[in-house]
Amino acid sequence: MKSLLIKEMRLASSPLSYIFLVAAGMTLLPGYPILVGAFFICFGIFHSFQNAREANDTLYTVLLPVKKSDFVGAKYVFTCMIQTLGFTLCAALTAVRMTALSSSAPYVNNAMMNPSPVSLAFTLLIFAAFNVLFVGGYFKTAYKIGMPFLFFGIAALLLIAAAETLHHLPGLGFLNTTTGERLGLQLGVLAAAALVYAAVTALACRTAKKRFERIDL
Amino acid sequence: MAVLEVQKLRKQYPSFLLDDVSFTLEEGRIMGFIGRNGAGKTTTLKSILRLVHPDGGAVRIYGMDMQEHEREIKQRLGYAGGAVDYYKRKKIKDIVYVTRSFYENWDDNAYRKYMDAFSLDENKTPQQLSEGMRVKFSLVLSLSHRAKLLILDEPTSGLDPVSRAELLETFRFLKEKGVSILFSTHITTDLENCADDITYIAKGKLIASESLDAFLARSAAEGAGENLEQIMVHYEKETLYEKLAD
Repeated sequence: MKSLLIKEMRLASSPLSYIFLVAAGMTLLPGYPILVGAFFICFGIFHSFQNAREANDTLYTVLLPVKKSDFVGAKYVFTCMIQTLGFTLCAALTAVRMTALSSSAPYVNNAMMNPSPVSLAFTLLIFAAFNVLFVGGYFKTAYKIGMPFLFFGIAALLLIAAAETLHHLPGLGFLNTTTGERLGLQLGVLAAAALVYAAVTALACRTAKKRFERIDL
Repeated sequence: MAVLEVQKLRKQYPSFLLDDVSFTLEEGRIMGFIGRNGAGKTTTLKSILRLVHPDGGAVRIYGMDMQEHEREIKQRLGYAGGAVDYYKRKKIKDIVYVTRSFYENWDDNAYRKYMDAFSLDENKTPQQLSEGMRVKFSLVLSLSHRAKLLILDEPTSGLDPVSRAELLETFRFLKEKGVSILFSTHITTDLENCADDITYIAKGKLIASESLDAFLARSAAEGAGENLEQIMVHYEKETLYEKLAD
């Protein structure tokens, strides 16, 4: 797996996968739907799949002394690696905005979702949607990337809309508070989202391996 | 010793059937795999490598089942579908850096020797190489991990006569080193210069699998022709003139 991951980074991936990590900086934008940053991080990973497809990465890899299922596993490991980097950046900036910048004028009366453990939870849900709908969908054919990304885009839009709407509903204001008084509850939401991310990704990977095994290349 | 055994390989597509193809490649021999375009050569080779899934039949390499011993077999096998057509914008040395990490038997000395022999520059990208040089690079990758079985799909197609002659000379050298080679082609003159055995398929069916000498002798006795080209034309030429005249 280590060799396959090195192959992903040195041969198959697009630099855009790393460059788009700067989209985590959207966490600091006031008056903006900050979860769009999670979408752009996934968009960066999409470019690596596109790059790999154009470079005939699939044929090269399956002829190496690896199992076909290892190829799928490596794609998921690479995807999760980028997502983990993106999440870490988002989490660090969220911590900065919740502490050092909590009383800054542009953030005090923010009508949009504030960075918090809940926004990080939604970030993980967007990543999970990408792993199921895009990466999982890609391995139905191992070459079609348009429709899987469209489905992911729709799902990401719905998740962002839900995140921006829910905290305005009565009784759900705690989803957007940054004062720390409901931090325990917010961390609970984040933990639940992390479990969903891990479970959904593992399931998607297993399904993708079965799908890829059936494809005639 | 049989290096590759293919038994009753079957693959059904909506408009094509690979119909119970069987043949055996012995150690240190070169087998030409011939047939006209669309005869099923690539489907057979891809089925051997599990790139496509056969509907029936069995493939054993070094006596091992490909499905059960995929990693182990691939350590000892090299495949080239003609010229290298992956990572065309990456430098050869970067492709090699990654590739070598997958093989237990990667031999850097052999790699240098073949790169020099083929006049390949590892600072170039596949895109900057001619078709013939990309075929050679593909061979270098296979030979550097000491592959003892080479499966090559149309390696001489698109090459100029000099490059083809050089490639065939390489095959003869490898044969002397004990490497077994199965290569498909529809350029039959290539085989008359280097093949020991012939496997011939037409429309997905096996026509013959035997030594080249025996095949030529039998075909001549049957009046099918004196060389591979005449034999293929004899078996497969369709009466297009009448069809076009209708």
